[in-house]
Amino acid sequence: MSSSFISKETLNKILKRLAAAEDVLLLAPVWNGKVLDFVTVTDAEKIVISDDIPYKSPKEAFMPQTENLMTFLEGDVLESEYDKKTVVFGAKPCDAEALRVLHAVLTDGKFQDPFFMRRFESSVLIAVGCANEKPGCFCAERGFDRTFSDFSDIMLHEDEGGSGYTVTCLSDKGRGLLSGFDETKGIEAAERTAETPAAGIKKLELDKNIEDRELFDIIDWEKATEICQGCGMCTFICPSCHCFDFKDVSGFNETKRYRCWDSCMYPQFTLHASGHNPRASVKERFRQRVLHKYLYINKIFGYTACTGCGRCIRSCPAGMNIKKVVESIMEVLP
Amino acid sequence: MSFDAQRGKIKEICKDLLEKGTVDTVIGYAEGGIDGARIPCMCGKPEEADALCWDQRCVANLCTYAYDKRDKKTGVVAKPCDVRGIVNYIAENQLNRENVYIIGVDCEGMAGSDGEKLPWCAECSVKTPPVYDVRVENPDLPDKSSTKIEEPGGMTGDFGKFQKEIGKCILCYSCRQACCGCYCPVCFMDRGVPNWQPAEPGQSAKMMYHLGRAAHLAGRCVECGACERVCASGVDVRYLIREATGFVEDMYGFRAGFDTEADPVMASYDANDREIGFLGGDDHE
Repeated sequence: MSSSFISKETLNKILKRLAAAEDVLLLAPVWNGKVLDFVTVTDAEKIVISDDIPYKSPKEAFMPQTENLMTFLEGDVLESEYDKKTVVFGAKPCDAEALRVLHAVLTDGKFQDPFFMRRFESSVLIAVGCANEKPGCFCAERGFDRTFSDFSDIMLHEDEGGSGYTVTCLSDKGRGLLSGFDETKGIEAAERTAETPAAGIKKLELDKNIEDRELFDIIDWEKATEICQGCGMCTFICPSCHCFDFKDVSGFNETKRYRCWDSCMYPQFTLHASGHNPRASVKERFRQRVLHKYLYINKIFGYTACTGCGRCIRSCPAGMNIKKVVESIMEVLP
Repeated sequence: MSFDAQRGKIKEICKDLLEKGTVDTVIGYAEGGIDGARIPCMCGKPEEADALCWDQRCVANLCTYAYDKRDKKTGVVAKPCDVRGIVNYIAENQLNRENVYIIGVDCEGMAGSDGEKLPWCAECSVKTPPVYDVRVENPDLPDKSSTKIEEPGGMTGDFGKFQKEIGKCILCYSCRQACCGCYCPVCFMDRGVPNWQPAEPGQSAKMMYHLGRAAHLAGRCVECGACERVCASGVDVRYLIREATGFVEDMYGFRAGFDTEADPVMASYDANDREIGFLGGDDHE
């Protein structure tokens, strides 16, 4: 037994402590009715550790669906306060890779998003490597290792005997959390790096030097999107989608400003005050979603905002498949 | 067995429709989903009809696609619930009867990836299409039994459970998009003026949405289960609407999607109506 080993028993003890801690929000996969969901856990017994992928990503730990940013009160602007620590347990390596994209978009460059940063800096992401792919998964095609991501703070991966996990710490936040428990004092985290996917798998990506106009008619987008219902669920459950909108809500003497998730799949997303909508139909909206993920973010930040978690494919009511669409673009590209 | 026999006939009919030019497009089911689910498929050429599927995994309701293509002549491979959706569109003047060719298919109910019958299919009593241009029969099916809706069960009056159910909702509106009764060009939830979304966009917004949608679907729901099928969050979306549907049937003896000529019950006025739905009262028993 190596010193980087943590038994299932010890892990459960730690999770129980985290769930009970008042200043820590523990977010983990739990069965919520019929679906596996990421929820705030108070009963650690309910946490599910498996290859099943929660239908929704853990991005809400860093960017909640609705977040009060500030309050305008009698001429003053009061910034909202945040003093919680969050531990996200049971994320997948693809979720950690998606967080890398969120981090780049919201903090690289000229402006830093302070509301994202304060959550990011006070949170620890504990990812568990997958043993097997699920239907719809395509992380290998996206060039990721399904057992490892170095953007997580702590990486667990199941020991061959099945009695516990090998621990790898990848950040000071992770080391700090692990050293805070008596049970884990002796554990020396293993050194690991991501493995490149097996040869023979063609990487799913678009060359960032392509002009987007070249892709506007390269495939029949109308045919590709004819069954899409335009609901936008794919964007809400996606770990790397991050578009948002502001909403000011006026009360009697105060106004609160909220940030809410928005979705490029909604008609209102690009609706102008004049009534003109540059993305008038599902065809333009879905094309934007694909090109934003695979081309625009790649041009600006050097990442593709799709980590192959397959959530949008598994949950799509109509059977849309982003992988097939990108493949069809790659096929016709010179 | 019966699925196989029906499949051949569906392909034959669709091919013929496209060859003769009776319709521009046929909407049916094809392979391509995850876990063996069939996905909607639109065929414009006769040879494309070879790809059509028909088995117990044809879960989607196709009538919303017929509505999207309402300006053209469209054939639809329609289960009884899909037919009822189309009938509802026609009754509400949203679709011309001449523009839709209904290939009505007898349906014993669809199943999930685990082979279990879907809950709304298990409850369904309408196994044969009420309206059709051509019918693909399944002689093994029992005769159409009572059209009376099953007693709505479960959550009547339980506010805590209602809160818990909608607490799972992420307001992605996929139930609205999949619903054949939700065809408003701009949904009340998307309107800025007046703003129907309550102050804080959280649980109260979810209540507004689910209650608002249920009220709008009273007497219009065709019980296809699409709203619950598409819900990634696993919300029991149907129960509120099932209750409204049962109420309308008790009050007015009306169930949507059987008669293209019937006046939509909530859109017709009768001076003698006691309007219990609005005014309350317990004398409607």
